[in-house]
This record gives sequence, structure tokens and C-alpha cells, in this order.
Amino acid sequence: MVVEGSLSAQRTAQEEDPVATLAEGLSIWVGKLSDLVKRVVDTGPIRNVINWARMYSLWPVNITTACCSAEFGAASGARHDLERFGVLPIGSLRQSDLIVIEGTITKKMAKRLRMIYDQMALPRYVIAMGDCAMSGGLFHDSYSIVNGAHEFVPVDVYVPGCPPRPEALEQAIIMLQEKIRRSKVYEQG
Amino acid sequence: MSAPPKPVPLTTVESTETSDSGAQTLTLSVGPQHSGSGHMRLIVEVDGDIIVNVAPDPGYVHRGIEKIIELRNIIKSIPVIERPSIIDSSNLNHAWVRSIEEIQGVEVPRRGQYLRTLLNEMNRIMSHLYWLSIYGVFLGHTTMFMWPLGDRELFIDMAEKLTGARITYSYLVPGGVRRDLPPGFAEEAVKRTEYFEKRLKEYDRIFFNNPLFTSRAKGIGVLSKEKAIELGCTGPTLRGSGVDADLRKDEPYAAYPELDFEVSTRPDGDSFSRAMVHMDEMRESCKIIRQIVKKIPAGPIRRKAPIVLPRGVAYGRVESARGECSFYLIGEGGDKPYRARYITGSYRNMAAIPAVLLGNRLADMPTAWWSIDYWPVEADR
Amino acid sequence: MSLSHEREDDLVQKLRENFPADIKETNIIRRGRLEVRVAPEKIKEVAVFLRDKLSFDHPNGVSAVDYNRENRFEIVYHISSMRIKEMRDLVLDLKESVPRNAPKVGSLVSVWSGVENYERESFEMFGIQFDGHPRLEKLFLTDNWDGPPPLRKDIRFPTD
Repeated sequence: MVVEGSLSAQRTAQEEDPVATLAEGLSIWVGKLSDLVKRVVDTGPIRNVINWARMYSLWPVNITTACCSAEFGAASGARHDLERFGVLPIGSLRQSDLIVIEGTITKKMAKRLRMIYDQMALPRYVIAMGDCAMSGGLFHDSYSIVNGAHEFVPVDVYVPGCPPRPEALEQAIIMLQEKIRRSKVYEQG
Repeated sequence: MSAPPKPVPLTTVESTETSDSGAQTLTLSVGPQHSGSGHMRLIVEVDGDIIVNVAPDPGYVHRGIEKIIELRNIIKSIPVIERPSIIDSSNLNHAWVRSIEEIQGVEVPRRGQYLRTLLNEMNRIMSHLYWLSIYGVFLGHTTMFMWPLGDRELFIDMAEKLTGARITYSYLVPGGVRRDLPPGFAEEAVKRTEYFEKRLKEYDRIFFNNPLFTSRAKGIGVLSKEKAIELGCTGPTLRGSGVDADLRKDEPYAAYPELDFEVSTRPDGDSFSRAMVHMDEMRESCKIIRQIVKKIPAGPIRRKAPIVLPRGVAYGRVESARGECSFYLIGEGGDKPYRARYITGSYRNMAAIPAVLLGNRLADMPTAWWSIDYWPVEADR
Repeated sequence: MSLSHEREDDLVQKLRENFPADIKETNIIRRGRLEVRVAPEKIKEVAVFLRDKLSFDHPNGVSAVDYNRENRFEIVYHISSMRIKEMRDLVLDLKESVPRNAPKVGSLVSVWSGVENYERESFEMFGIQFDGHPRLEKLFLTDNWDGPPPLRKDIRFPTD
């Protein structure tokens, strides 16, 4: 609200300036143009191309919260090979699109996880893997855990199981890809 | 170990602290988001790139299991106890049932003992293979990430046939085990272990005899024998420093007294020794599995055991993949323990982390650190 | 494996000879498991004796137990010997009791440096103070933990 007020005050001061009026009119037109571009992108084939690129390059960040990481490792390994879905674990969180929350989230880790989520570039997706990341699971009555990932980050796909089999994680990836395929380009993440 | 290289004074980077010698040092926080740390943080102080101070900051996976066990009955606790190290779950489970049986005075039938040993040894191989694959990631060796994880599935399939679960079995219960051997298991086990031994030779060729690995691991992260004993290290970390301590031999339990195997040790105490101890143990475990399926006696697999924990104290321990895993269990007559102190191999080896890292270069940190086989989930419990 | 307790009896006798007044109680649970309760103010001397004369050089762990009905904490050092191969199956539980309202004991880090982490954990989980510990601070709990020491018996956390 404060920002709006100061903007209108600025406008009254610059009302006489013809250049400013022109610039303002131009910016309105630019805004309208960008709306038009968004609409064209979201309804036309460009959306399909962008979404296709996003679907098959889901790079998860290297953050392991608990023991489900063993099954995540097995899923990335030779038999299940997540890379065929375009999932390539990467160390740099600035270049990653996906967090797979692997199991129990302790209070100590939750803070760091949120920091990592905030540092990731848009669009970003979250898969909550395992019962603990859904609701606390086996450790729901513990003094040091957070009961579910949704308490501090928005979650796109939940994978039940303790731990989920690699096949379940693969299905979650496919579901996430389907979600990306259907969503609008500018509303993702 | 050769003397650590002379510290290089740091002048170009803004430093945070000044050490006693007047050289400027820099404090780095490695983890928990880092491909070379896992679910823990290491606070490392470097002088140039020589590590001068290390403080492990564990607890990112601390779930309060000791408190949870006190609130559940001894059977319901079994899945909770397995979770700290699900890649090595049956060994942790074994420590738990062993200490319960010690208080209850229940004898397990011999066939049950053999089945326990069978699953434990398969778990040991799986755990070591997982360790090896992560070692590959840490050292930037993608083949060594893919191969062990692929070969691990050989044993996961067998364990799934035996128990019904991929990695979390809850197979060992007080009094015995849950299920008997499925038909055709013995032939399958012999076939798979023999194939796996051939694969181990290929591992040697591509990784352990590879100068890319040996030049980074030999002489790095040295832990002397005296230091390892004094710090209370256990398992492959202790054996890599030349102590032939193995509870399977020293305090034989389950079917181990009747089986023929060797305890492998390496005298040097560096990262390479610890890695080779893991390799030797996998070979020995293959031998043990083949012996078990050949020698396994007929008979019942489980004896009836009460669900109450009588009054008494027990210190039950087994040799898990990462060393001694123990329960200090105090019963007071109910179905819940009064106190169950749970100390795992990784927790014991946590004290070795600063010892192996000090004096090494920062670039050698992944090699030295992961050779301890420290699994943060297991240490934090 | 023989089931005799000669070795354990021998150890108990040696300890009793050297510390006639400070060994409060000994108990052989079974072969290879021995409990020795000592006075808290003398535990360090007994520990040094065990390490140097009886070659208990390997700390296996430290457990703290809360006996809230008896109003005391018990601290148990599990120690074993690595140097002597025949003694590796023996675990000696060195115990001491402290009153629950003033839990303050001497640290044994100077005797076995490996007990540092375990004592730190007992400090944060039970609130037991260890005198002479080099780094008595939180180990596992979250940085801004302000609750009571969680493993105490009278602490119950709400379950949902």
C-alpha cells in the first residue's frame, strides 16, 4: 500500500512533463504487449516447447534429509537410472529445478531446506519422498522433527512408502512431468 | 604419514581469524547442502588449503530414537531401530533382538541363527556397495557410482525373496526370524555371489588399481593404531589401522562360530587401507553366504518368545557393516524398555573425523572423510 | 566357549584391592559383562587404573540413565580392551551416580579421549554437567533448542 501511495505522489509531480506522459503511455502499452505475449505463449505451441524443455531437464539439488536417500541413490543407479527421465543430481542449487525431500525432516534441517528452496531459481518443484516427509511417519511423536514437508515448502508430489521403492519415485517424476506439461508457463514453480 | 606440507600464508582472500602462528585462516562450512558431505555439516578451518581445525556438526537427522523406543513396545520398536541405517538394517535389528534375548533368556534355534547370519552378511555387502558408490561420487568417478549400485540390486533381489522387502526387512524378531528360505534360494545365492566376485575383480581393475584413485588415497587421512583405539573407533576404520578386532570372531554370536572366514586388516591406516578393508570384507561375506546355504541345518526357525522385557540389564552388540552396534538395555518388567541406549558404528567413528582430516589439504577432504564410512543418519539416530 | 567367571572375578578382586573404599558395588551379569559402581569423586583414579594397569584402552560408549524415582542419574562408561585379544569380548560398565537436582561430575575425556562426543550428548539430553570437558555444548539438537533436556524421564512431548 505504501508503495502505491508514493507512486501516485510521484505521478502528480511529473504530470506537466510531456516526456514523462509519453513514457507512461509507452509503459502501459508495453505492459499490454507483454500480457499479449504471455497469452500467445500460453495458448500457442510455444508453451509446449518450453514445457517440454522443462519436463525433461529436472535436475534435483544434492540435499539429503534422511534415510530415503538410500532409495534415491538406488533410483539414480544402474538398474533404475533416473537419468532417462532427465533427472540428473547436481551440486549447484542455482542450476537445479527440483528438491527431492528424502525422508524425515528434523527441525535443524528444515531451516536449511527452506534456505535452499529460497535460493533456487524459478520454476522450482518439490517432491516429498517417504512417509516422514508427508506426515512424520514412524517418528511422528518425536521431539525433534517437523511433521511433513508442507509445513515450510509447497509440495508438488508426495510419494508414500517407508522407504518408497525406486519405481514409486519414478512414477512421481512422471506425475510431476505431467503436471508441468499441463501448467501455464508463467504460473509454474 | 609424511609431514604435512608447510602452511601457505593467505593474503589474497579476506580472512576471518588469525591463528597463533600469525597466519590468517579461513573458516568454511561444508554441508549440509554439498555433494561431498551428506546430511551433516563440517566446520573446517583452513590455512591456505591445509585443514587446521575441524568441528563436525551432526544432528541434521537426529530423530530422538532413544526416546521413541522408551514409549513403544519391544516389537513395535524394530522398524524404528532399523531406520538409522536402512542400507544395513538387519545388523542393527540383530543388536536389538540379541540384547532382548539376553534379558529374556531365550535361545534361538540353529536354523534361525543361520538365517540371521545370512541376511546380515548380505546386508554387509549391500552397505559396503552403497558406501563404494558414494565414494565414487565424491571422487568424481561416475562408473564407480553406477556399478556398485547396479550390483547391489543382485543382493537386494535375494533379500526381497527371503524377507519380502527391499531394504527394510524387520526380519529378525525375538526368538528367531520371520520367514524360512524360499525354494531355489541356495542355487541363486551361489550363482550370484560367484558372479559378484568376478565383478569385484573388475572393480579392482577400474578403481582400486587405478592411479586416479591410489594417488588420491594412499597416505591421505592417516589414523594411527593407538589413536584409533584411544578414540574408540570400530569396524573397518579400526581394522584399516591394523587392529584385527571383529566381534564376529572376538565374541562369536549367531552362526559365526561355525563358519570359516578371515578378518582382514591393513596396517597403514590411510584412506586406501580403509577402502581395501571394505573390499576384502565383501569377498569374505560372499564366502560366508555360500557356506551358509550349504551348511544350514534343518529345524524350526523361531522359538516362542514373550513380548515382555523382564527386569534386567544387557549390553548386546553385533558387528554391523560400520562396526560395533550396541544396545545398553534396561528392562523393568513391562513390554517397554526402561532405557535403551543405542550406540551405532558411525557414532563411534565420529570421533575419528577430525583425526583423519587434520593436516590434509582441503581437496583431499572427500577421500579422507568418506573412507571412514560415516553414515550421518546412523550416527544421529 | 567356557562359561566360567574366573577372569571377571580376578578383575573385581584387583579393583577391590586397589580401591577398597571406593568400589561401591560389583556385579557380574554374565561372562564378559561386568558392572562396577564407584564413587563419583574417585572415578577418574579408577579409570586411570583401568586404562594403565588393566589395559582397558578402548571406550565403547557412555550411557546416561535417569532414575527419577530414586532421584538420581547414572552415568555408565562402557569400556573394553583392544590390546589384549583374549579380553576383547569383555565389556566393563563403569558406573557412577549423581543426584538429580545437582548433576555435576568430572569428565573422563582426559583418560579416554573418545568419550568426548558421548559426554556431550549426555549433557544435552540429560543436562548433566561434565567438569573439565573441552567443549560442553549441543551436539545433535537444533541450534535454537530451548526446551528441557529431552531424554529425562519426566519430560513428555505432546503427540498428535
